[in-house]
Amino acid sequence: MIMVKKSAQTTADEKLLVGIDLGTSRSAISADNGKKKWVKSYVGWPRDFISRKVVGKAMLFGKEAVEHRLSLDMYRPLKNGVIKEGTVRDEEAVKELIRHLISLVQPSKSDSKIRAVVGVPAESFKVNKVALKKAVAEFSEALFVVSEPFAVAYGVGALDNALVIDIGAGTVDFCIMHGTVPSEEDQRTVLTAGDYIDQQLFAFLKERYPEADFNLNMIRRFKEEHSFVGTVEKNVEVEIPVAGKSTAHSITKEMKRACESILPAMVESTLELIAKFDPEYQDAIRGNIILAGGGSQIRGLAEYLEEIIGEYGPAKVRVVEDPLFGGADGALELAKEMPEEYWTEL
Amino acid sequence: MHNAESAKIKDVILEGVYEDNLTMSAPHVKPVRSVKQPGYHSATGVLTVLLTTVLLILFQFIVDPIHQQSTNPVAFSEMASILPWAEIVHDQMAGPSTVQQASYVVDSTPSPVTPFNAQRLLDYNLLLNHDQVRLSSVFGLDVQTIVIDPGHGGRDPGAIGSQGTREKDIVLDIALRLRDQLTQSGQYMVLLTRDTDTFMSLADRVRFSNLNKADLFISLHINALPQNQFNVTETFYFGPPSDLYTLRLAEQENRGSELLTGDFKNMIKKIGDVLKEQESATLAATIQHSLFSNMEKYDRVIADNGTKIAPFVVLLGVDAPSVLVEISCISKSEEETNLNNPAYREKITSSLEEGISRYLTQRHTQVVKGDDNGKKISTNNS
Repeated sequence: MIMVKKSAQTTADEKLLVGIDLGTSRSAISADNGKKKWVKSYVGWPRDFISRKVVGKAMLFGKEAVEHRLSLDMYRPLKNGVIKEGTVRDEEAVKELIRHLISLVQPSKSDSKIRAVVGVPAESFKVNKVALKKAVAEFSEALFVVSEPFAVAYGVGALDNALVIDIGAGTVDFCIMHGTVPSEEDQRTVLTAGDYIDQQLFAFLKERYPEADFNLNMIRRFKEEHSFVGTVEKNVEVEIPVAGKSTAHSITKEMKRACESILPAMVESTLELIAKFDPEYQDAIRGNIILAGGGSQIRGLAEYLEEIIGEYGPAKVRVVEDPLFGGADGALELAKEMPEEYWTEL
Repeated sequence: MHNAESAKIKDVILEGVYEDNLTMSAPHVKPVRSVKQPGYHSATGVLTVLLTTVLLILFQFIVDPIHQQSTNPVAFSEMASILPWAEIVHDQMAGPSTVQQASYVVDSTPSPVTPFNAQRLLDYNLLLNHDQVRLSSVFGLDVQTIVIDPGHGGRDPGAIGSQGTREKDIVLDIALRLRDQLTQSGQYMVLLTRDTDTFMSLADRVRFSNLNKADLFISLHINALPQNQFNVTETFYFGPPSDLYTLRLAEQENRGSELLTGDFKNMIKKIGDVLKEQESATLAATIQHSLFSNMEKYDRVIADNGTKIAPFVVLLGVDAPSVLVEISCISKSEEETNLNNPAYREKITSSLEEGISRYLTQRHTQVVKGDDNGKKISTNNS
């Protein structure tokens, strides 16, 4: 008997389930074929014919786009957590970003039908959900759009009496879970997030080291490597060129100040959201706070929040295991568990 | 959490996600074809409209000879005295005897075309609930009086921007400009609920509009959002709220309505007024379309929230088709600066006037069902 090896490639009849986290800074995709990818949420089109020759592509994404930014018209379509409606290029950028993400996980030459659950920033979910749905519709057989913190909550199984704080680049999204799909009242968005830290750090360093030569990309890298709140054991030192020569600079104070600049709004929103909830369950929610998104990686943040919120009652703050893929994995989990009839009826 | 409990919660959540997305999938606007449009194939619909129209004209000869002249355009405000089913609706509320009287008249009228179940034909539900029939079109109802209602005023400043700009001042200025623009055609009488900085309760605004037999009522407001980075334009007409945000906004604008519960009960009866709903939805959609497409020239990031249905007291109480326009957001600093510029206010006024004029000129075409987005308006004028 001849054993026929089953092809790993998906066939035309097969469905590929994907969970997409469309973020302001990074976008990620998880597929049920085990593939996971992420890109920076940048889309760039060559500025002119010469740029097109230089970059060698009609369109660039993520890191590659950032590297060639001088030759490109760059778009970060979900900046501030919403698509700028009416801006054709921003809408197109969202569409291309999603197309690109899907192409990263879809086996080549595959006609598999895509079924997607897309998590988007909470504010964008409110404002652009129809536009987002249209953007993804082209590449998928069926799709669901959900708010990002909700997708994270679903992924980590925080379905009841939990508060998810998703700290992204453009927004910090809060979402209370209480055994049902969160309503608008269960969610909050604060606009002082990762980008705000960058701006603050940039301003503080410019003030302290006027002779140092740095840009916002470098600042973002410093933040990703050294961000912290509270205290830190070792001083933070980075290399910044001065008059062309790489020079060590201490940025501990500035880093602390910049990172802590987002805390007041975050604490206030957390307390306010919990206080508005049914008093019987407030303790339970306070004891189940989950930090997600890139900002959850700020050292000392969970402990700081636990201490401050703990003043109002016992609090427990934890960080999702995989902040980069937390949203995409949650969205994929939703896709996997979505009943067949919901897909087909949609 | 136990597995069984968790599975149950997941079922609820997945169903919720499905329902959320199902509403998102609904088309934005359902531009309904004109009864005169060639592509309209519903024979029952055409027959219903045609026969009903003929019969109703005949009734007017029988019931009230004065209305033999009613082929001329009639103002909305006079509708109640002219439309037989409006009387039937009213009478049904009053008691069964008058309904019988109306039925008696109906039964005695021979069908002019084919043997047809006149009893069924005269079931007003047939006409009122037929979403492809625009009543203003069927009866050539005209617009004579337009009431513009600048929100807030006097001790009620409305929303206040960070630079101290008050909603009441901006909307009053726009209302005065709009009055000037609309009266230029000489076709309409345009009245303002207030033309100075005075306080007026919502109940008084409703009374003013109804006393003056308004044919259209347009309430002007400026919004304020907690996220001061966003600018949004949206237009509402009366109905159950389309979302929680809308409900909150309605609560905010309804404060100090000075309405008694008794008044409210009478007012709630008016929800069934199909004509008002049809016209309000269409007016809202045309204004919103015009406003957004013009305003995005000045603010590229302004969001179009489309038309929404919301339970604003002022919209419920007014007899005429009525809308409430939230022009933009004073909470956004740049927008507040713009609103302080008279040239910008003039542009807003022109956008509003353009929307109203477009509504007035294409009133005999389609019904726009209430939905969350008024961007796409069919322009298939008959």
